[in-house]
Amino acid sequence: MSQFARIGNSYSLALSQNEAEILINLAEQLLELLGEGDFFHHFDNSDPLAQLLSMPKEIETPEDPVLRRLLPNAYSDPEAASDFRRYTEPQLRGAKQRTLRVIREELTSIVDAQSDGGTIFNLDSELWLKALNDLRLALGVRLEVNNDSFETFELLPDEDSQKPMYAVYFWLGWLQGQLLGLLTAN
Amino acid sequence: MVRTANKEEVSIEAFFDKPWITIVWDDPVNLMSYVTFVFIKVFGFSSEKANELMMKVHTEGRAVVSSGSREEMERDVQQLHEHGLWATLQRDDQL
Repeated sequence: MSQFARIGNSYSLALSQNEAEILINLAEQLLELLGEGDFFHHFDNSDPLAQLLSMPKEIETPEDPVLRRLLPNAYSDPEAASDFRRYTEPQLRGAKQRTLRVIREELTSIVDAQSDGGTIFNLDSELWLKALNDLRLALGVRLEVNNDSFETFELLPDEDSQKPMYAVYFWLGWLQGQLLGLLTAN
Repeated sequence: MVRTANKEEVSIEAFFDKPWITIVWDDPVNLMSYVTFVFIKVFGFSSEKANELMMKVHTEGRAVVSSGSREEMERDVQQLHEHGLWATLQRDDQL
Protein backbone atom coordinates (compact mmCIF):
# COMPACT_ATOMS: atom_id res chain seq x y z
CA MET A 1 0.00 0.00 0.00
CA SER A 2 3.04 2.27 0.22
CA GLN A 3 2.35 5.45 -1.65
CA PHE A 4 3.89 8.88 -1.91
CA ALA A 5 1.43 11.63 -2.77
CA ARG A 6 1.77 15.30 -3.55
CA ILE A 7 -0.76 18.07 -3.16
CA GLY A 8 0.75 21.34 -4.30
CA ASN A 9 4.12 21.38 -2.57
CA SER A 10 3.05 19.16 0.27
CA TYR A 11 4.23 15.56 0.20
CA SER A 12 2.90 12.60 2.14
CA LEU A 13 3.72 8.93 2.45
CA ALA A 14 1.18 6.25 3.29
CA LEU A 15 2.60 3.02 4.69
CA SER A 16 1.23 -0.20 6.08
CA GLN A 17 2.31 -1.13 9.58
CA ASN A 18 4.59 -3.80 8.17
CA GLU A 19 6.23 -1.41 5.70
CA ALA A 20 6.80 1.21 8.40
CA GLU A 21 8.45 -1.45 10.55
CA ILE A 22 10.75 -2.54 7.73
CA LEU A 23 11.80 1.07 7.08
CA ILE A 24 12.38 1.91 10.73
CA ASN A 25 14.43 -1.26 11.22
CA LEU A 26 16.65 -0.41 8.28
CA ALA A 27 17.04 3.20 9.42
CA GLU A 28 18.02 2.09 12.91
CA GLN A 29 20.51 -0.47 11.64
CA LEU A 30 22.15 2.13 9.45
CA LEU A 31 22.17 4.66 12.29
CA GLU A 32 23.93 2.11 14.44
CA LEU A 33 26.50 1.44 11.75
CA LEU A 34 27.08 5.18 11.19
CA GLY A 35 27.40 5.68 14.93
CA GLU A 36 30.68 3.82 14.99
CA GLY A 37 33.55 6.28 15.11
CA ASP A 38 31.13 9.11 15.77
CA PHE A 39 33.44 11.73 17.24
CA PHE A 40 30.82 14.36 17.86
CA HIS A 41 28.01 12.57 19.59
CA HIS A 42 28.53 14.32 22.92
CA PHE A 43 27.83 17.81 21.71
CA ASP A 44 26.39 19.90 18.91
CA ASN A 45 28.51 19.01 15.91
CA SER A 46 27.40 22.03 13.89
CA ASP A 47 29.43 24.36 16.11
CA PRO A 48 32.64 25.25 14.19
CA LEU A 49 34.63 25.73 17.40
CA ALA A 50 33.63 22.32 18.66
CA GLN A 51 34.66 20.85 15.34
CA LEU A 52 38.02 22.56 15.50
CA LEU A 53 38.77 21.53 19.07
CA SER A 54 37.79 17.94 18.57
CA MET A 55 39.42 17.54 15.17
CA PRO A 56 40.79 14.02 15.19
CA LYS A 57 44.41 13.54 14.14
CA GLU A 58 43.39 10.97 11.59
CA ILE A 59 40.26 9.19 10.41
CA GLU A 60 40.89 5.96 8.57
CA THR A 61 38.93 4.71 5.59
CA PRO A 62 36.09 2.63 7.09
CA GLU A 63 36.54 -1.14 6.93
CA ASP A 64 32.85 -1.89 6.54
CA PRO A 65 31.99 -1.81 2.81
CA VAL A 66 28.66 -0.07 3.51
CA LEU A 67 30.44 2.79 5.29
CA ARG A 68 33.07 2.88 2.55
CA ARG A 69 30.27 3.42 0.05
CA LEU A 70 28.37 6.01 2.11
CA LEU A 71 31.53 7.85 3.20
CA PRO A 72 33.78 7.30 0.18
CA ASN A 73 37.35 8.40 -0.37
CA ALA A 74 37.43 11.68 -2.27
CA TYR A 75 40.91 11.09 -3.70
CA SER A 76 42.61 8.01 -5.11
CA ASP A 77 45.81 9.15 -3.38
CA PRO A 78 45.61 7.71 0.15
CA GLU A 79 47.28 10.67 1.82
CA ALA A 80 45.02 13.25 0.19
CA ALA A 81 42.00 11.03 0.87
CA SER A 82 42.92 10.75 4.53
CA ASP A 83 43.43 14.48 4.88
CA PHE A 84 40.08 15.24 3.23
CA ARG A 85 38.36 12.66 5.40
CA ARG A 86 39.79 14.21 8.54
CA TYR A 87 38.20 17.56 7.70
CA THR A 88 34.93 16.45 6.17
CA GLU A 89 33.90 12.96 7.27
CA PRO A 90 32.38 13.98 10.62
CA GLN A 91 30.10 16.47 8.86
CA LEU A 92 29.09 13.97 6.18
CA ARG A 93 28.44 11.28 8.75
CA GLY A 94 26.46 13.76 10.87
CA ALA A 95 24.34 14.85 7.89
CA LYS A 96 23.44 11.24 7.12
CA GLN A 97 22.63 10.55 10.77
CA ARG A 98 20.37 13.60 11.02
CA THR A 99 18.49 12.56 7.88
CA LEU A 100 17.93 9.05 9.21
CA ARG A 101 16.86 10.34 12.63
CA VAL A 102 14.17 12.48 11.00
CA ILE A 103 12.64 9.57 9.12
CA ARG A 104 12.93 7.34 12.19
CA GLU A 105 11.00 9.95 14.19
CA GLU A 106 8.30 10.18 11.53
CA LEU A 107 8.02 6.41 11.19
CA THR A 108 7.76 5.98 14.95
CA SER A 109 4.32 7.58 14.96
CA ILE A 110 3.04 4.89 12.59
CA VAL A 111 4.85 2.00 14.26
CA ASP A 112 3.77 3.01 17.77
CA ALA A 113 0.11 3.42 16.78
CA GLN A 114 -0.06 -0.36 16.21
CA SER A 115 -2.87 0.05 13.68
CA ASP A 116 -3.06 -1.14 10.07
CA GLY A 117 -0.75 1.63 8.98
CA GLY A 118 -0.66 5.37 8.66
CA THR A 119 0.40 8.42 6.71
CA ILE A 120 3.28 10.83 7.23
CA PHE A 121 2.09 14.28 6.16
CA ASN A 122 4.14 17.33 5.14
CA LEU A 123 7.34 15.37 4.86
CA ASP A 124 10.59 16.86 3.57
CA SER A 125 10.66 15.29 0.10
CA GLU A 126 14.37 15.81 -0.58
CA LEU A 127 15.33 14.52 2.84
CA TRP A 128 13.28 11.37 2.22
CA LEU A 129 14.87 11.00 -1.19
CA LYS A 130 18.34 11.03 0.39
CA ALA A 131 17.33 8.70 3.20
CA LEU A 132 15.80 6.14 0.81
CA ASN A 133 18.92 6.37 -1.33
CA ASP A 134 21.25 5.74 1.62
CA LEU A 135 19.16 2.76 2.72
CA ARG A 136 19.27 1.36 -0.82
CA LEU A 137 23.04 1.89 -1.00
CA ALA A 138 23.49 0.05 2.29
CA LEU A 139 21.32 -2.89 1.21
CA GLY A 140 22.83 -2.88 -2.27
CA VAL A 141 26.35 -3.20 -0.87
CA ARG A 142 25.29 -6.03 1.48
CA LEU A 143 23.55 -7.87 -1.37
CA GLU A 144 26.43 -7.07 -3.74
CA VAL A 145 23.91 -6.02 -6.38
CA ASN A 146 24.87 -5.58 -9.98
CA ASN A 147 22.95 -4.81 -13.15
CA ASP A 148 21.60 -8.37 -13.33
CA SER A 149 20.32 -8.46 -9.78
CA PHE A 150 16.65 -8.33 -10.64
CA GLU A 151 17.02 -11.59 -12.58
CA THR A 152 19.03 -13.05 -9.70
CA PHE A 153 16.20 -12.11 -7.36
CA GLU A 154 13.51 -13.62 -9.57
CA LEU A 155 15.41 -16.88 -9.93
CA LEU A 156 16.04 -17.23 -6.18
CA PRO A 157 13.92 -19.92 -4.55
CA ASP A 158 11.42 -18.57 -2.02
CA GLU A 159 13.21 -20.28 0.85
CA ASP A 160 16.50 -18.50 0.10
CA SER A 161 17.40 -16.31 3.08
CA GLN A 162 18.42 -13.43 0.82
CA LYS A 163 15.11 -13.31 -1.03
CA PRO A 164 13.31 -11.03 1.45
CA MET A 165 16.27 -8.63 1.49
CA TYR A 166 16.19 -8.43 -2.30
CA ALA A 167 12.44 -7.83 -2.16
CA VAL A 168 12.95 -4.92 0.25
CA TYR A 169 15.77 -3.55 -1.91
CA PHE A 170 13.61 -3.46 -5.03
CA TRP A 171 10.64 -2.10 -3.10
CA LEU A 172 12.82 0.80 -1.85
CA GLY A 173 13.87 1.50 -5.44
CA TRP A 174 10.25 1.55 -6.53
CA LEU A 175 9.38 3.89 -3.66
CA GLN A 176 12.27 6.23 -4.43
CA GLY A 177 11.29 6.25 -8.10
CA GLN A 178 7.75 7.19 -7.16
CA LEU A 179 8.95 10.15 -5.08
CA LEU A 180 11.32 11.26 -7.85
CA GLY A 181 8.44 11.17 -10.30
CA LEU A 182 6.41 13.49 -8.08
CA LEU A 183 9.38 15.81 -7.51
CA THR A 184 10.17 16.20 -11.20
CA ALA A 185 6.57 16.44 -12.44
CA ASN A 186 5.47 20.01 -13.04
CA MET B 1 42.53 47.56 0.89
CA VAL B 2 42.79 44.92 -1.78
CA ARG B 3 44.47 45.85 -5.01
CA THR B 4 42.58 44.96 -8.16
CA ALA B 5 44.54 42.34 -10.04
CA ASN B 6 45.48 43.22 -13.59
CA LYS B 7 44.51 41.07 -16.52
CA GLU B 8 47.79 39.16 -16.71
CA GLU B 9 47.74 38.21 -13.03
CA VAL B 10 44.18 36.93 -13.35
CA SER B 11 45.07 34.62 -16.20
CA ILE B 12 48.15 33.27 -14.41
CA GLU B 13 46.07 32.70 -11.32
CA ALA B 14 43.43 30.94 -13.38
CA PHE B 15 46.13 28.72 -14.89
CA PHE B 16 47.31 27.48 -11.52
CA ASP B 17 43.97 27.60 -9.81
CA LYS B 18 41.74 25.75 -12.26
CA PRO B 19 43.22 22.37 -13.11
CA TRP B 20 40.97 20.27 -10.87
CA ILE B 21 38.00 18.15 -11.88
CA THR B 22 35.19 16.27 -10.15
CA ILE B 23 34.39 12.81 -11.46
CA VAL B 24 31.21 10.83 -10.80
CA TRP B 25 31.59 7.06 -11.07
CA ASP B 26 28.95 4.54 -12.10
CA ASP B 27 27.46 2.29 -9.46
CA PRO B 28 24.76 -0.37 -9.74
CA VAL B 29 22.47 1.03 -7.03
CA ASN B 30 21.69 4.69 -7.76
CA LEU B 31 18.64 5.17 -9.99
CA MET B 32 19.36 6.94 -13.27
CA SER B 33 16.57 9.42 -12.59
CA TYR B 34 18.05 10.11 -9.13
CA VAL B 35 21.52 10.85 -10.54
CA THR B 36 19.99 13.29 -13.04
CA PHE B 37 17.98 14.92 -10.22
CA VAL B 38 21.13 15.38 -8.10
CA PHE B 39 23.08 16.93 -11.01
CA ILE B 40 20.29 19.47 -11.52
CA LYS B 41 20.06 20.23 -7.81
CA VAL B 42 23.79 20.47 -7.03
CA PHE B 43 25.06 22.11 -10.22
CA GLY B 44 21.94 23.85 -11.54
CA PHE B 45 22.32 22.06 -14.92
CA SER B 46 19.45 22.02 -17.41
CA SER B 47 17.64 18.68 -17.44
CA GLU B 48 19.15 18.00 -20.91
CA LYS B 49 22.72 18.52 -19.68
CA ALA B 50 22.10 16.60 -16.45
CA ASN B 51 20.61 13.71 -18.39
CA GLU B 52 23.50 13.71 -20.87
CA LEU B 53 26.08 13.54 -18.04
CA MET B 54 24.11 10.81 -16.25
CA MET B 55 24.12 8.74 -19.47
CA LYS B 56 27.88 9.28 -19.80
CA VAL B 57 28.37 7.95 -16.26
CA HIS B 58 26.08 5.02 -17.04
CA THR B 59 27.63 4.02 -20.37
CA GLU B 60 31.28 4.99 -19.88
CA GLY B 61 31.57 4.25 -16.19
CA ARG B 62 32.43 7.81 -15.23
CA ALA B 63 32.03 11.44 -16.25
CA VAL B 64 33.66 14.75 -15.41
CA VAL B 65 30.85 16.83 -13.93
CA SER B 66 32.68 20.00 -12.91
CA SER B 67 36.06 21.72 -13.02
CA GLY B 68 37.64 24.55 -11.12
CA SER B 69 39.86 25.20 -8.14
CA ARG B 70 40.68 22.40 -5.73
CA GLU B 71 38.54 24.02 -3.03
CA GLU B 72 35.55 24.29 -5.37
CA MET B 73 35.91 20.64 -6.38
CA GLU B 74 36.15 19.56 -2.75
CA ARG B 75 32.86 21.32 -2.08
CA ASP B 76 31.26 19.64 -5.10
CA VAL B 77 32.49 16.20 -3.99
CA GLN B 78 31.17 16.81 -0.47
CA GLN B 79 27.73 17.69 -1.83
CA LEU B 80 27.68 14.68 -4.13
CA HIS B 81 28.68 12.39 -1.24
CA GLU B 82 25.91 13.85 0.86
CA HIS B 83 23.50 12.76 -1.89
CA GLY B 84 25.03 9.29 -2.05
CA LEU B 85 26.80 9.64 -5.39
CA TRP B 86 30.26 8.14 -5.75
CA ALA B 87 32.50 11.11 -6.61
CA THR B 88 36.22 11.87 -6.52
CA LEU B 89 38.39 14.83 -7.45
CA GLN B 90 41.77 15.00 -9.09
CA ARG B 91 44.04 17.16 -11.18
CA ASP B 92 42.81 17.48 -14.74
CA ASP B 93 46.00 15.96 -16.20
CA GLN B 94 45.62 12.68 -14.33
CA LEU B 95 42.70 11.43 -16.37
